[in-house]
Formats: sequence, C-alpha cells, structure tokens
Amino acid sequence: MSGLIPLTIRDLKRWYRNPVSAVVGVIQPIFWIVLFGSAFDITRFGVSSTTFFEGAPDYITYLMGGILTIIGLFTGMFSGVNIIWDRRLGILQRFLIAPINRASIVFSRILSSVARISVQIMILFAVAFVIPNGLKIVNGFTLMDGVILVSAVFMVSFIFSSFFSILAVRMTRMESVFGIVNLINLPLMFASYAMFPPDLMAPWLSHVAKYNPVSWSAQSIRMVLIHGTLTASEAHTVLIYMLGLLALALFMLVITYIISNREIRE
Amino acid sequence: MDNSIEIESLTKVYNGKFKAVDDVSLKIGRGKIYGLLGQNGAGKTTLIKMLTGVIKPTSGTAMIAGLDLNKDALKIRRITGVVPQEYTTDGDLSGKENLKLVADLYDVPRKDAEERIETLLRMVDLYDVKDRYASAYSGGMRKRLELVCGLMNTPEVLFLDEPTLGLDVTTRENLWSYIRSFEREFHITIILTSHYLDEVDSLANELSIMDHGKIIVSGTSSDLKKSLKGDTITLKLKNDDEFKIVQNFKEAIEVKKMELGDIRIKVNNSDVVLPELMKYLSDHKISPQSINVRKPSLDEVFIEYTGRNINAEQSGKDYEKLMTMGRGAK
Ligand SMILES: Nc1ncnc2c1ncn2[C@@H]1O[C@H](COP(=O)(O)OP(=O)(O)OP(=O)(O)O)[C@@H](O)[C@H]1O
Ligand SMILES: [Mg+2]
Repeated sequence: MSGLIPLTIRDLKRWYRNPVSAVVGVIQPIFWIVLFGSAFDITRFGVSSTTFFEGAPDYITYLMGGILTIIGLFTGMFSGVNIIWDRRLGILQRFLIAPINRASIVFSRILSSVARISVQIMILFAVAFVIPNGLKIVNGFTLMDGVILVSAVFMVSFIFSSFFSILAVRMTRMESVFGIVNLINLPLMFASYAMFPPDLMAPWLSHVAKYNPVSWSAQSIRMVLIHGTLTASEAHTVLIYMLGLLALALFMLVITYIISNREIRE
Repeated sequence: MDNSIEIESLTKVYNGKFKAVDDVSLKIGRGKIYGLLGQNGAGKTTLIKMLTGVIKPTSGTAMIAGLDLNKDALKIRRITGVVPQEYTTDGDLSGKENLKLVADLYDVPRKDAEERIETLLRMVDLYDVKDRYASAYSGGMRKRLELVCGLMNTPEVLFLDEPTLGLDVTTRENLWSYIRSFEREFHITIILTSHYLDEVDSLANELSIMDHGKIIVSGTSSDLKKSLKGDTITLKLKNDDEFKIVQNFKEAIEVKKMELGDIRIKVNNSDVVLPELMKYLSDHKISPQSINVRKPSLDEVFIEYTGRNINAEQSGKDYEKLMTMGRGAK
C-alpha cells in the first residue's frame, strides 16, 4: 500500500515529539493499573481471588487481560481523532493530492495507534510487576502464551482503531468522535469481562458480555497469564475467542480498506 | 499533443443545488502560465480541486497531459504538482521533513530526494531554516515551503491556487520571480488562480476570467485589453435624468450603468473626447460628483465582462481569509 510507511512514520514522529501526548501515553497505563487495581479489588473484603477470579493469585493478575484490552479500546480512538485533525488543518489535502493509495491515509493511523499501544503495554507490564500485590506469573509463561497475548491485544487495538477511523473518514468535527467515544467506550468496557468474571455480574449483563470482543480479548489474555499451560478445554475456549477476534479484525480490515479508499474526503 | 490540459464541461454541484463550477470548458497550451482570474467564490478553487482529484466532478471530464481525469486519476496525480490555497504542510515537522515526506509520498528515490530537497530549499531561500518547525515559519516562508512541495515530484503540470494570498508586496514579487523561474527551468505548464489583477497580468501568458462558476472570457491579456475597443470614462451622477442626457452624448461608443450606479462611457480616444464631454456636461448643467478616465487594463477588462469591479468588497474578505487560512474552517 503506497504511502503507508512514510505516513506512519510521520504520525509516530508527531507523537513522540509532543511531550504531552508522550507523557500521557506513559502515565495512562500506570493510572489504569494502579487505580482500577485497587478500586475494584474486592479481595480486600476477604473474597478469595482464587475462587472468584478464576484461579488468579490476586486481583491485578486477573485484571491485566482487561486493562490491556481497554488500552487498545481507548488509544484506538486517537486514530480517528487524528484524521479529523489533519482534515481541519488542511494537511489531508496534501495526502489526497499525492499518488498514494488513499487507504494508507487511514491505515497509517491505525498502524501508529497499534505501535503506541505496544509501547504502553510494555510499560504496563513493567509497572504491574513492580507494584505491591501486582502481577504474579505462578504457572509459567510459554512462547504460545506470549503469541496469544500479543495477538489478542493487536487485534483488539486494530478493531477499535479501524472502527474510529471509519467514523472519521467523512467527519469534520472532533466533537462527533468524542461523543461517540463517550457513548460506546464505557458500555463496551463494563458490559464485558474486562473487570469482573461472569459469576459476579448480573445474569443479563454477563449474557451480553459474551458477545463483546473486549471480553474475548480480556478472557484469552487472562487465561494464559493465570494458567500458563492451558488444558484442552481452556485451549478450546481461547481458540474460539481468538478466532472471533480474527474474524472481526479481518472484517474491519476489508471494510476500512474499501470505505477509506472510496469515501475519504478533504 | 499541443494542449496540456483540455477541460470538457466540468461541473461541480455542492449539496445537490449550488453550482460552484458550471459547465467549464477550456484548452490550456503546454509550457505556459495560465491565469484563472475571479472574485472570491467564483469557483477557482473548486475547479482546481476537481482537476487535482481532491473532489469528484458532478459531471464532465478533463484530459491532463493526455490522461483522462475520470480514468487515470492516480497517473495524473503522479505527474502534477499542486500548491493548494490553504496550508497543507505539517507544522509539527521541520521544513526539510515536510519535503522529505512529500518526496516519500511520490516515491522519489532517496538519493534524488536528498539532492532535490536541498536544491529546492536553496531556491526559495529556506535552506538556513530547514530544520525549524514549519509552524515557526512566517507566512511568506510557509508559502514558499508550500510552493516547493508542489515541485518535489518535478511535475509536468503545476497548479497554484492563490499563491500569494495575503503576502506583502515584496514577498509577492519575490514569489512571482520564483514562479517565472519554475516555468523557465522546468518547462512546465502552470495554472495559476488569483484575484489579484496585477499578478495575473504580470505572470500569465493567457488567462480566463471566471465568474459565478463560469468562464466569461479567455485570451491573452493584450487581446482582452484590445477587445475593450477604447478608453473608459466613469462618471458618478445624481439621478437618472442626467444618465439619459449622457446617453445622447455623440462621441460615446457605449454608455452603461453599473451595479453600483456608476456610469461607464466607452470612447475611442479619451484624450480628445474628454474635453468635449466636459463641455457637453456643462451645456446640460450637469456637474458629476466624480470623473475617472481609464486606458485599457485588466481591471477594465474585468469590469467590462463581469459588470463588477474585482476589488470591490475585497479587502475585508482578504482579511477574513487570512485569519482562517490554514485552519480550514469548514
Ligand atoms: N465544500 C463546499 N460545500 C458547499 N459549497 C462550497 C464548498 N466549497 C466551496 N463552496 C462554494 O462554492 C463557491 C466557489 O468556491 P471556491 O472556493 O471554488 O471559490 P474561489 O474562486 O476559489 O474563491 P476564493 O477567491 O475565495 O478562493 C463558493 O460560493 C463557495 O461557498
Ligand atoms: Mg479559492
């Protein structure tokens, strides 16, 4: 896809050069883990984490899968915001004039979002290991586990980045994106297994959460972090979730390609 | 191919009702500077945007360097350079990085790109500030950067949309000489839009006047001036009765009332006719509030064909545009 690499590099340059966005990007995952880790930690009321949190040694270990996924969800919206920003600044016209595949205007944004998310994830892991009652890998961590974790986060980031980018293909107002973010991000987060296991949720909510890609990613990551080597039935569950994410990611890839190529406007 | 650009019935309708460009057809010769002159809102930018593939025409087509706008859009983008009306450089990148980005978007090989970037930066005197962020450039510097962005791919056809809008006189004249040198050095066809008469007059070999989305008249500047067939005397009178009397003035080739109430009298040779007119007016006890004599100029051409003065209500708008420039207030 011509234009993809230079545009991605440009976007990343803007990101790491902007002290605010770089610092926010680093602090945000720390906030998530520290705040959520203690706010929602019901083990301090004597609830046994191993019983209620699917065998996790503590709440933060349980929460990791959720936080990693939510970072993908929230950072993804920036790809949409940045496209609108370029449109309003007039820079987009320069890209529309150039002999590039126009889909690369959008995909460069998605790629750079995914790259930023990777950085945030590394920071997140470092912090999670360091803090008291933090992340504990009790049952080992295999190469396969790593592959599952990374691909789940990438797919979920890709899905949400492309979702917000498609919105931005024709929008001219920043507020519209933020409005939609506010409308859907929190419901997506709470109607999922990102924070709590199905047993602790209202039955209808846990039923809804089953179909939420945030749950698929959060559950897969959490299972490999908690269990290390998976049993056959656990592996089966993870496989289903991952296939679900893959299908959705491929669907978004095709849709984003078609829409951004045809519909992007100055 | 003699013609670099052939536009056929190009039309753009916004929101299903507003015709911004209305059935424009035009042939533009190779290796020339071609001016598109028109007031704010005439449709110049819309026309350029269609020709450069930024927006889709509602109907009609164009051939650019032998390529069909509706079929070979990508190829056309490869061989054209564009300097849009608004800023399109990234303020968060340095001047050099902006050019590098453009070079990459056009797949200019790395080695050529390095050389070309340096040549272009030196050409518009930005080499010394090449590492400064574009957002820290002055208006004139930024505009110069925009200009060379349009040259990065050594285009066959270059579109310049109001290249000197809002710049001071010296900077404008500076840019003019750059534009002339582009034409000389690269032998490219340049399409230039402007609402500055002097700019079009001094740069363009040929021009078209655009008004309300239509091409009103085309030709060389001197042909258009000749087409005026004489000088113009403009009077401000008190009432219509006086206008009727002036209509009977024998030496007048034509007497017209303009939108703002001015009376325009076309005469063969104002040097001879003016004294006679003065006598005629005083014989009829008419004392005009003002008298103005003009030899053929592009100004006059514009008024003749559009019925309006290009500079009327212009200065306020220029200021507004400056204030929103680069912010794409859409
Ligand atoms: N995106 C748009 N939607 C609706 N109307 C538009 C749009 N863009 C331009 N117009 C209208 O089309 C007309 C022509 O605009 P255009 O920008 O082509 O004029 P112009 O000749 O370039 O003027 P200027 O000298 O001010 O740059 C104007 O009346 C403008 O309001
Ligand atoms: Mg314009």
